[in-house]
Amino acid sequence: MNLFSKRDTKSMTVAEQFVSKVEQEARSNKIRVYAPMILLVFMTIVFSIYDSHFFSMKNLINVLGQMAVPLILATGLTFVLLLGRIDLSVEGVMGLVGSCISLLILNSRNANDWGIWGVILPLLLGTICGFITGFLHVKLKIASFIITYAISTIVSGIAVLLYNSRPATVKAQWIIDASQTYFLKIPLITWIAIVFYLICAVILNYTAFGRAVYAIGDNEAAAAASGINVQKVVIEVFILSGFAASLAGLVALIRLKLGQVSLGENQMFPCITALVVGGTSLSGGKGGMLQTMVGILIYMELLNFLTIIGVSADYKNAIQGVIIIIAVALTITRGRKVIAK
Amino acid sequence: MEKELLFKTNNIGKIYGTNTVLEGINVEFHRGEIVGLIGENGAGKSTLMKIIAGVENASMGTMEMHGKPFKASSMLDANKHGIGMVFQEQSLISNLSAAQNIFLGREKDFSTLGMVNWAKMNAAARAALDKLGLSHISPSQKISDMPFAMRQMVEITKVLDIVSETANDKALILLDEPTTVLTDEEMKILFEQVRMMKEKGNCIIFISHRLQEVLDLTDRIYVFKDGHLTGEVETKDADEYKLYEMMVGRETNGEYYVSQRQTVPTDDVVLEVENLAMFGSFKDVSFKLHKGEVLGLYGVEGSGKEDVCAVISGDEAKTEGVIRVNGKEVKFGSPSDARKHGILSVPRDRRDEGIIGILPINENISVSNYGKNATAGLISNKKQIENAKGWIKDLGIKCEGPNQRISNLSGGNAQKVIFARVLDSECPILILDHPTRGVDIGAKGDIYSLIRDITEKGFSVLLMGDTLDECLGLASRIIVMKDGLVTAEFDCPADNKPDQVEVVQKML
Repeated sequence: MNLFSKRDTKSMTVAEQFVSKVEQEARSNKIRVYAPMILLVFMTIVFSIYDSHFFSMKNLINVLGQMAVPLILATGLTFVLLLGRIDLSVEGVMGLVGSCISLLILNSRNANDWGIWGVILPLLLGTICGFITGFLHVKLKIASFIITYAISTIVSGIAVLLYNSRPATVKAQWIIDASQTYFLKIPLITWIAIVFYLICAVILNYTAFGRAVYAIGDNEAAAAASGINVQKVVIEVFILSGFAASLAGLVALIRLKLGQVSLGENQMFPCITALVVGGTSLSGGKGGMLQTMVGILIYMELLNFLTIIGVSADYKNAIQGVIIIIAVALTITRGRKVIAK
Repeated sequence: MEKELLFKTNNIGKIYGTNTVLEGINVEFHRGEIVGLIGENGAGKSTLMKIIAGVENASMGTMEMHGKPFKASSMLDANKHGIGMVFQEQSLISNLSAAQNIFLGREKDFSTLGMVNWAKMNAAARAALDKLGLSHISPSQKISDMPFAMRQMVEITKVLDIVSETANDKALILLDEPTTVLTDEEMKILFEQVRMMKEKGNCIIFISHRLQEVLDLTDRIYVFKDGHLTGEVETKDADEYKLYEMMVGRETNGEYYVSQRQTVPTDDVVLEVENLAMFGSFKDVSFKLHKGEVLGLYGVEGSGKEDVCAVISGDEAKTEGVIRVNGKEVKFGSPSDARKHGILSVPRDRRDEGIIGILPINENISVSNYGKNATAGLISNKKQIENAKGWIKDLGIKCEGPNQRISNLSGGNAQKVIFARVLDSECPILILDHPTRGVDIGAKGDIYSLIRDITEKGFSVLLMGDTLDECLGLASRIIVMKDGLVTAEFDCPADNKPDQVEVVQKML
């Protein structure tokens, strides 16, 4: 703002002021969209200059390998956050699905060997968990963070009961092979994540369902008035998120080969951090698949960089907390009257 | 009139709780005409529109469209019958493009195998926009990147497109103050479009506070006051002055407002604002509030009066100007700061901002002044209840006792509890925002007496009245606002209230 524009605003009529206020808002919205992308480029350059290992092919592949689980979860959560909801059940569902798969395919605990069905049925189970979550949220009108938290503890409990506190180790050769399969030096599981991400990007951007998600997140009443079946869309989003969590559970199992609830532990919070850093708003309506990818890349780069320069895990957790506070504070639209709930 | 009847209402009414906001409305709309609806805020125009558009249900009466009984269960249902409404508050989705907004909920028409063909949708949106002469709007542009007026045009395009899909030029289109944010040029385009739609045989209902626009555009005008249809006039027989007269109707006598107890303000200035401004809402507002005075602040909704009160009560931040309390400059960061300087606001929206529904009456009374009933920081329940009993008796609050939940009280009695809280707080400057909205006639009288009690005690009141009549009746002085500026100030001594028509002229 220079002096001249200040003088201009003073001589405006109130109606003109209002218009310029709206335009100002539109401009700051634009900055919010591009800021994370600029940050990503900036970080990449700075980190590369600081440490030459950072931009090496080896490190890049390393980062891509670690990206599978967060990318899948974040892709599902993108829909949930765009609705202005949250899904805390993903960790529990991941643990449940991973545990179930490990007990149904060839494993160290029992004589089961269901082959591919040992994967498909647990994936279906996790997806049904998403449906139940969405259904209860919509029909009983329970806030999403409560109902998803409750579901998470329930399914984690069930998972532990299933393997009776002694997790099964994967013995199925095809799963072990999958963990060692690479295309173009990138692990198969990362490819699974990328394909899932791309399919979801198409769903979000090229279907009526995707548009409805934005509409509900921005203005639920207006969406309903336009004839969108809000309840149905919300349930569908939780189903999608449930499937994403299940897929993440499978991928995590492929990596670790031990079916236990801790497969899902500490996976959700980093994803939400990444989403918010990328520019997806926790209050709904703002964000998208591109922002999700940018957020995940920023997050993975930062984590990787901290590891390279030898920062301990405890510091990393603290840094993650600080990042989420800053990112939320920058992206949230604030009312003056109510602090936030 | 020989024109084909499109839509009519028979004795339509609407009751919220015990409060009748609309009663016995009989209006007719014909094909190929533009009808204006005018009246003060709260006169019932918007309620009628919402009933016709299916947003709200009527409490009584029936409606007919094309001679057949009509009842819309939702806005979507009304759309299917050829009735569309453009709202005052925009209902667009800011993160979607113009085309996506126009066809929101109707994507099926452009989908193959669930995938929307955006090019096809954009082309259809292009055609819809072109039909309204809006060639400068790109269908793929995001709403959030558009200036405000352009968003309004997209909204209008959306409604027209939905309605014309089924109505075949027998549509009823409701425009609720569509011009407030448009520039002259954009308004011209809009008016041209409205006239074109009329020529094709549609009927357009136009609500506006700008009477000149109503006179320019419409063929016929209905006038509303206090929930009743009070007049109908052919536009060619009307002029601005005549409309003012029809809008204000008869005046209520002074007794109703207990004006024999109206105080004569002293020379002590308790609150003074100078060149107060809030960017985008109002500016250059200056006035003085004297001890024991009721100062009325009046204007249509959106004139800035609400924000003036919000700034003074610490709810919103000013961008310029000075507020002085008892001659000393003050700065508020929150309502609690204002409260410390002796300013307390009684909000209009009782249910959302006034009462704390789950608490009993006695706690609702002492919530602004807990200290009074506490010793060493601990609140005495006994004192609190005794205190409440006193107020219940003084104000004649009808209830089972001080422990009854406030949410079980009627509107008028709940409002009295809030007044008790205000009086209990002993704040010398009170901002009363529509204190009688949603209150029945009997309780209104009690509240008027209460306001007199308050000023007799030497408290000062800044009042936003529910109607002009009420504002004039209660106030010693009124300030009139329009488009964010103060346009006039009138003295209102008890025996010589200003002419309502004169006030309305300054306000519209």
